[in-house]
Amino acid sequence: MEFRDYYALLGVEKSATQDEIKRAYRKLARKYHPDLNKDADAEAKFKEIGEANEVLSDPEKRAAYDQLGKAYSPGQDFQPPPDWDAGFEFSGGPQNEGAQEQNFSEFFENLFGDAYRQQRATDASARFNARGQNHHAKILIDLEDAINGARRTIVLQIPELTQSGHLAVRDRKLEVTIPKGVREGQHIRLKGQGAPGPGDGGSGDLYIEITFKTHPFYQAEGSDLHLELPVTPWESALGGKIKVPTPGGVVDLNIPAGSKQGRKLRLKGRGIPAKPPGDLYVTLQIVLPPADNAKARKLYQTMARELDFNPREDLLRKAGKHDRARARP
Amino acid sequence: MTGKILSEDPKLALNEICETCGLPEAKIKAYIEEGVVEVRGDDITRWRFSEISVVRIQKAYRLERDLRLNPAGAALALELMSQIEELKNQITRLQRTSR
Repeated sequence: MEFRDYYALLGVEKSATQDEIKRAYRKLARKYHPDLNKDADAEAKFKEIGEANEVLSDPEKRAAYDQLGKAYSPGQDFQPPPDWDAGFEFSGGPQNEGAQEQNFSEFFENLFGDAYRQQRATDASARFNARGQNHHAKILIDLEDAINGARRTIVLQIPELTQSGHLAVRDRKLEVTIPKGVREGQHIRLKGQGAPGPGDGGSGDLYIEITFKTHPFYQAEGSDLHLELPVTPWESALGGKIKVPTPGGVVDLNIPAGSKQGRKLRLKGRGIPAKPPGDLYVTLQIVLPPADNAKARKLYQTMARELDFNPREDLLRKAGKHDRARARP
Repeated sequence: MTGKILSEDPKLALNEICETCGLPEAKIKAYIEEGVVEVRGDDITRWRFSEISVVRIQKAYRLERDLRLNPAGAALALELMSQIEELKNQITRLQRTSR
């Protein structure tokens, strides 16, 4: 077990006042709250600062921790000396900010675990036979899983008390069916897979939020999909049939003649197969052939000579009008 | 294990939503006042909530509890978060277009 530097976790000096500790904790709590911060390690970080705050915001625990900290440097291997807390009295239970529903590190458990649990037990005995807590988790899936349906394993970290009374985190694997047609941001409920309730209250549920990995070419929006489709200048000008990938396979798409850059075409019902199925929106991206060989350069030169085309005509006319208006006294 | 996609149809009564969320009626009413969740039905006995409300209510409650907000603050946080989400999606789309 490593010695944890709670001051460093909150980014404060050892000499910080209780107010400075409180402000540092609150700022970090807003930054790392797992509902606000989507980073994968935000939750772990949020728990760490909660634990640091649980100790440092309580003058009694802080004094005991400071006493102990004199002999240790952060990260150093650590075993609490017997009766290390003799002479300190812990009256504060888990009423401190950030201490709700938390499981703390082994380091914390060894030092303050007993006092903490006794307080919690007193709190808990007041509400028997309540239903267990709902748990929340997130799963990152491939878009194809939503399109075809899939079975995926998710790993949840479950805090457990070991026989010696210490807290350990156990991985719990759950195989979950991803229903076909699920949209990003939807939630799946697994009944009875949350926390067990005290007494006969029954277990809470597990809510799993669906998020998609970035797809190489589709972007999902609800049950619709968006696709940027590269086309040649002649395909967009003359129109024609071109092949387009869709979740259900490659289809022929009719490009209307005279299509402009950025034109959106809708393929009805070709999005995510939800109920009702989403659409596939194809945005045309005109790609110019490079003039990197004699033949290509010649074709461009022919166009320059033969076509009466000046895309700046309108711009120059407007600029002229603008200048004349400004020149007027 | 097969779960159910949470539905957006209003079907849960007030007592059911209280039990599922583990929160008192007063808290749910405060969230309705602040627009965290919407409710169908004109009088309280006929109020119906969608299953997806459970997720929104519990998220609002966690923010309120962990960051010492009030229901109005939690509602504002949820609103801003969904705006950020939307903007991020727009940016991703624009980045793809400009590539």
